[in-house]
Amino acid sequence: MSDPAISAHNLARSFGSTKALVDVSLDVAAGSVCALLGRNGAGKTTTVRILTTLLPADGGRAQVAGFDVDSQAALVRTRIGVTGQTATMDELLTGAENLETIGRFCHLGAATSRRRARELLEQFDLVAAGKQLVKRYSGGMRRRLDLAASLIHEPEVLFLDEPTTGLDPVGRAEMWTSIRSLVSAGTTVLLTTQYLDEADRLADTIVVIDRGLVVAEGTPEQLKASIGRPFIRVTLPEADAAALERVGRLLGAEAEVSGRSVSAPAPDGLATLGDVVAQLGRLGVPVHEVGLEYPSLDEVFSTVTAHAGSSPRSAAAAEGVA
Amino acid sequence: MSQSAVAAERRLQQGMLDAYTATRRFLIRGKRQPDVIFGSLLTPVIFVVLFGYVFGSSIVVPGGNYRSYLMPGLFAMSVLFSAANVAVAVATDMSEGVVDRFRTLPIARSAIIIGRSLSTLILGIPVLVVMIVCGLAVGWRADQGLANAILAFLLFELFAVAIGWLGILVGLLAGSAQAADVIINIPIFLMGFISSVFVDPSMMPVWLREIAYWNPMSALVTAGRQLFGNTIGPPPSGVWSLEHPIATTFGLALVIIIVVAPICVRLYSHSTR
Ligand SMILES: Nc1ncnc2c1ncn2[C@@H]1O[C@H](COP(=O)(O)OP(=O)(O)O)[C@@H](O)[C@H]1O
Ligand SMILES: [Mg+2]
Repeated sequence: MSDPAISAHNLARSFGSTKALVDVSLDVAAGSVCALLGRNGAGKTTTVRILTTLLPADGGRAQVAGFDVDSQAALVRTRIGVTGQTATMDELLTGAENLETIGRFCHLGAATSRRRARELLEQFDLVAAGKQLVKRYSGGMRRRLDLAASLIHEPEVLFLDEPTTGLDPVGRAEMWTSIRSLVSAGTTVLLTTQYLDEADRLADTIVVIDRGLVVAEGTPEQLKASIGRPFIRVTLPEADAAALERVGRLLGAEAEVSGRSVSAPAPDGLATLGDVVAQLGRLGVPVHEVGLEYPSLDEVFSTVTAHAGSSPRSAAAAEGVA
Repeated sequence: MSQSAVAAERRLQQGMLDAYTATRRFLIRGKRQPDVIFGSLLTPVIFVVLFGYVFGSSIVVPGGNYRSYLMPGLFAMSVLFSAANVAVAVATDMSEGVVDRFRTLPIARSAIIIGRSLSTLILGIPVLVVMIVCGLAVGWRADQGLANAILAFLLFELFAVAIGWLGILVGLLAGSAQAADVIINIPIFLMGFISSVFVDPSMMPVWLREIAYWNPMSALVTAGRQLFGNTIGPPPSGVWSLEHPIATTFGLALVIIIVVAPICVRLYSHSTR
């Protein structure tokens, strides 16, 4: 594999007494999409601001497109596109003027800037809006224009801080489509999100952060496999208490009954499923449905963040005992 | 040419290009704010009427026509007002997301702020023209010839750039547009009124009179009055800045620009929202 497009080691940053980042490390392979997933205040924006040269880190170091974000900031800026969490388009300029100005600032020259502005307005379905002042734009149009502006110089690495927060479902779907088309063009993307479904849909790798710490990372599948074991669920035709109990005994000590179904962990996945189906046949209980279920990313997310939240307290408790 | 010299020349060229792009952006923005344009064109007209006729009717300047005396003062006041506007505008800019956008672009660190300064200068020209027309309409004349008049206006513009940089500094340091507005307007009113901009300070109490004489605004208007030929009486003796008003204004403006502009560039490029 080639060098990672983004690599950050032990980033730390405090604001006064607030530790926004305690220790964040991540690697994003060139041409891949990484989602930085975390709740409000987890440190997502701070991480993005450090990686995009907007904010110096207190500790750690990071490289983007092969350049150090601190000592080679000017070179990093020629390689990156950034769409921040807050709108950055000039309200008193038209969409086209905004894009053209950014193009000139990227040293594309007047003619190329105009051509790129036109192409991007087309790509983002803003051709008619391009002649209007941005102050008349809807939220979704502003976001798309902001994204278009980050692409004017065809950056190698793109940073998107909560690109869909505050958008309606239509706007969000449009944004997803735009991001996917960028990725197929080979751009490396680091996006932040509070939404698991978004990370799951868009990202090759997910880094979950909470209170300035990385609490989990991997592909969406790895995350599910490492934290969530699959469950087996047996659903009966009706809520027959005696039958439910017999199935429960078969499934083991951790079985839980809810409504007309019983579920239990299935550590060996399909093998467990096969065993259970065979035993159910011998048991002679009528069965409506048997299946394996994997935890949703939502469950993964609450597991890892709850874990991270409780660890300092349990550490303190352990000290108290000693 | 050595490699580093080539690189430096390239950087300078790109820096100038960036400053041009920034200036262009501010000019487009300026054009889109007709209320601001209207206000800045109307203010000097109101001042000419207010001071030329309302107050001016009872203000006596030794041996002279008050409205002739007043006009260079009003040119100087518009320099101060434009500095106040730029302070508020810069503070507003700094609170907007667009600052972050600029700071992730590969542009010269000084470009945006230089663009702000240049566009302020350019947008000030129509205001100056309106004031000149008003002045001519109420009887003010430049009697020392065109060359001296042009020199006078260049001096006013140079001073406008210098005071404008002070306005930018205030805008960068103030936390908000409202704060910038308050912070900048207090010194502006004091500098404008405790001076020979509107009245002859010789009638003021001694302590105030000394402040008024040494106030750089007095040097600026005195330079203007000299070059336009509106001077009334000899300068007060012992006040070097009024005995050499052109040199004082020119030197002071240069010093302010050389000291303050780099501070502003540094503040801007290190600021975080
Ligand atoms: N400029 C700042 N000044 C003070 N505190 C800040 C600043 N920026 C972020 N923080 C704090 O740092 C923490 C992480 O913030 P942020 O990175 O914006 O989180 P996220 O983007 O994940 O919502 C929060 O507690 C936030 O209040
Ligand atoms: Mg954020």
